[in-house]
Amino acid sequence: MTLNTKRYVVAGLSFLFLASLLVVAYHESKRHREEVKPGPIVTATNESCVSCHRKDSAALVMEWERSRHAQQGIGCVDCHQAAEGEIDAWKHEGVWVSALVTPKDCSRCHVREYQEFAGSHHAKAGEILASLDNVLAEKAAGMPSTGNIADAVNGCWQCHGAIVKFKRDANGQVLREGKENKPVIDANTWPNSGMGRLNPDGSKGSCHACHSRHAFESKLSRSPENCGKCHMGPDHPQIEIYNESKHGIAFYANRDQMALDKRGDWVLGRDYSAAPTCATCHISSYMTPQGVFKGNSHDVGERISWTLRPVISTKLNMVVYADGYKEDYPEGKPLPAVGAQVDTKEKVVENEALVTKTVPRKVSQVVTWDQRRETMKGACLNCHNDTYVDNFYKQFDDLVVLYNEKFARPAQQLMDELKNDGVLKADAPFEHEVQWIFYELWHHEGRRARHGASMMGPDYTHWHGMYEVSKHFYTEFLPAVVHVAEEKSAALGNKYRQKVETMLNQLDHNWLNGLSPEEAEALRRMYKERYNQ
Amino acid sequence: MSTERDACPPGEQDVTRRTWLAGALMGAGLLASYGTLAFQFLSFLLPKRLKGETRLLFVGPVDRFAVGSVQTIMDLKGNEILVKRSEAGFQAFSSLCPHLGCRVQWMPADNHFFCPCHRGIFDAEGKAVAGPPADAGQRLADAPLVVDQANGVVYLEVEVPDKKGGPA
Amino acid sequence: MSAEGQVAGKGGYLKSLFPMDWDLVRHAGAEPVPYHLKKWWFCLGGTPLYLLVVQVLTGIALTFYYVPSPQEAYASVAAITNELRFGWYIRSLHKWAGNLMIVAVFLHLLRVYFTGAYRHPRQLNWCIGLALLGTTLTFGFTGYSLIYEQLSFWGATVATNLAEAVPVVGGHLAYFMRGGPAVGENTLTRFFILHIGVLPTAMFVLLGLHILLIRMHGVTELHFEGEKVTKEERFFRFWPEHATTELLIGVLLMYLLTILALVFPAGMGEPADPTQTPPHIKPEWYFYFSFRLLKLTSLHLSVALTVVGGAVVFCWPFIEEWLQRKYRVPESFSVVLGVIGFLGFLVLTVWESIAP
Repeated sequence: MTLNTKRYVVAGLSFLFLASLLVVAYHESKRHREEVKPGPIVTATNESCVSCHRKDSAALVMEWERSRHAQQGIGCVDCHQAAEGEIDAWKHEGVWVSALVTPKDCSRCHVREYQEFAGSHHAKAGEILASLDNVLAEKAAGMPSTGNIADAVNGCWQCHGAIVKFKRDANGQVLREGKENKPVIDANTWPNSGMGRLNPDGSKGSCHACHSRHAFESKLSRSPENCGKCHMGPDHPQIEIYNESKHGIAFYANRDQMALDKRGDWVLGRDYSAAPTCATCHISSYMTPQGVFKGNSHDVGERISWTLRPVISTKLNMVVYADGYKEDYPEGKPLPAVGAQVDTKEKVVENEALVTKTVPRKVSQVVTWDQRRETMKGACLNCHNDTYVDNFYKQFDDLVVLYNEKFARPAQQLMDELKNDGVLKADAPFEHEVQWIFYELWHHEGRRARHGASMMGPDYTHWHGMYEVSKHFYTEFLPAVVHVAEEKSAALGNKYRQKVETMLNQLDHNWLNGLSPEEAEALRRMYKERYNQ
Repeated sequence: MSTERDACPPGEQDVTRRTWLAGALMGAGLLASYGTLAFQFLSFLLPKRLKGETRLLFVGPVDRFAVGSVQTIMDLKGNEILVKRSEAGFQAFSSLCPHLGCRVQWMPADNHFFCPCHRGIFDAEGKAVAGPPADAGQRLADAPLVVDQANGVVYLEVEVPDKKGGPA
Repeated sequence: MSAEGQVAGKGGYLKSLFPMDWDLVRHAGAEPVPYHLKKWWFCLGGTPLYLLVVQVLTGIALTFYYVPSPQEAYASVAAITNELRFGWYIRSLHKWAGNLMIVAVFLHLLRVYFTGAYRHPRQLNWCIGLALLGTTLTFGFTGYSLIYEQLSFWGATVATNLAEAVPVVGGHLAYFMRGGPAVGENTLTRFFILHIGVLPTAMFVLLGLHILLIRMHGVTELHFEGEKVTKEERFFRFWPEHATTELLIGVLLMYLLTILALVFPAGMGEPADPTQTPPHIKPEWYFYFSFRLLKLTSLHLSVALTVVGGAVVFCWPFIEEWLQRKYRVPESFSVVLGVIGFLGFLVLTVWESIAP
């Protein structure tokens, strides 16, 4: 190789070297661009808690360290601080704390969320404690002889929320124990993270029912499984229906594209598109042609147009009062005018029991059921066009009307008449078999049918729903009505037999008498052609 | 050196254009590549002198600070920061007196900051008006308070404490 | 002052400040290089020198941030690798240049051996060369221990325990290496000072002697059988021809090292835990032969073999002379012995590397 050639080779090699150095520089810059998840900040105030509890409950501290709170230095004392004198407070290692962190505590920083939640149906979840369901739990499945109400405690109250109570001495003073004089909480009422927990400080609810502590991850709160803890089961299988529906299928297939952990607003049609979750339709923000529609993220009832809870479903209007208090007005109940003064009935806790108080309030807004539905439709319209959406609502409405008119109303009427005739007693709601059957008719399969239609779960609508409604109505309920009347007296038995006969002769029910010859022939032919049977 | 070796072959004496280009390219290549390497070495030897990595430390909601009040908050290194909220907005000062480092206090009755060590006085804007700090024309250092108006939250920009690592 | 010294006025002024015989300097630079050095495999001497320069520069840079205490060593290396700008690159350069340097020195040794360039009157240079090899290996060993990860710590433990088995001086040697009865804080600090102080000094002194001896003896002229070389072709100039060759190799090496740094960057294992020995300790690859020997024989036998083997290689020029004089052993004997020795080394190394 001549010297000249050598020089060219050196030149060539040095440009190759330069190129490799540029790759190095690129790598270096790429390294810095990677988002380094910052670690937790432990401030001086929280240091003593962390250092001790890191040994006592290591995973708990690790969970906190993972949280966004920790990244900003918000720690133990910031949430658990309590004022001296509060019923649930005690002085722990020199600091007044409470194990109970209520929505009011969270509202020290999360003001808007607290206000939204306080006015929601979720906050009222604990107020069913005087309902039929509670009777079933505390009485039917409880032991008054030993005071054991474990069914209510472990079952109903864990979703709905308990009234948090303290153990007291003979004088009614709160019992305290240990060298820190820690107040003794009634074990039946704590632990409890029920949605409508009634807290000693007067606030309702439990933020960590959805925002599991201590990592408080958004991705957990936004996941459908989170709602599914409570919104499931024979009486309201929302999660099962969602899992059956195309919405659920789309979600589970595309979970990774859902941006579930996004910080701040989580907007359908901007941050994610693959599927709706419970939160998407019921509370979260979505895109509209005018821009982002910011959902009222903690009031779950705002977009609901039917109530599918009661025996007979009705449309729901909403009255909003000046202080943010909200009331659902079923269709038919006359709506007050804006600005009017209304004596609202509000349930509060006094002396560790629920009492109803009358609170006069001024009406600031009236929202009709179709306005509520429009808000819901805004989410649907992100993926479906208006014909699609409107037709869906017609299908859904028709199912509710079908249930209402064919089964619910007639059944309720029969039950009312039995009560009027003295066969059933108002103060003995589960005395007779017919009462259980009726209860399940509307409370279980009746709700399943309606919920199934509301969220596109066809199997729940029909097989778990209307099929069972019809079957139980015809084969169990109607016979039980006659039977319970008969037990009371032969005359009453005849009266109700007659009533049932009349009903069954109506067009809607007379199919029991048999199919028409044409229908029978069509049925026989279908089975022959398809299954050769 | 062995005498046998004095017979050197003649080198390429004539500087033709080809040679000149080769040499120039070689020089340019070497300069560019080794120069880049030197730059990378230098970057390594000069640790980032931009304000060291900072984080936002949550202080509290805006409402925590009453208008017209001065409150004390702590940063991660144990320094006290004086946060003053007036009609106009927020101001935050380091509580270290610029004179000799004593701790300055807010005197609400007199509407000024006071340093007890040598009786230094700073006005409500942090400017020294009496005492040795005034003589030196000093003022209280601003503390990096960040107010997020949209969410109604106040943060303090703090330096990330140095990582001490490795097994004990 | 020569006439040429007065040619450039300013240059002449500067030259008078440092009154050297610049003619001599030019003459030294124009040292005729034997034609066989145009063959590329004769650049294996310059390669380790260049890599040494790389090591010195990257090493100095690393020392700006490395902390030689058991508590902070690992973290400081982690900071270099993960946080500082280009730290990962400089550390990877340092690691790969170190590995390549050992390879190059060893290949150079092979070249010198098989071309018989160690023979009279160049025996001393062979010995110095071997001392350089030993220094390079010690560089590698001490350097790796500084990372203070599990393999560093336990590798150092094994090595110092092996040293104890050296006859006569073993115990003292091991105690000196460790700075105590066990590997600990003292060990790290003395390895550090060996690596950045003692060994570089030794290296430079030995290297200086090595190059001086080459210049004094002149580069061995080699004549290959059947090759005809004209008088003109017998030598070529050091500057600019051979220098450009060396420059070429330098740039090539930098390019190669950068590729290695990008594709196989230096990583870090688990931090050293004196209470927990990892299930598979292995020394660095250049000690595999010794480690495999240890596994095949007993501690004392393997150490004895290594020491004796090392001594034989060190004194080979003299041994060969003695063999030739006394027993008229032909030159081919050295070649065969060399091949056997090299193959044995290769087998042991590869065996150890593929074994779990």
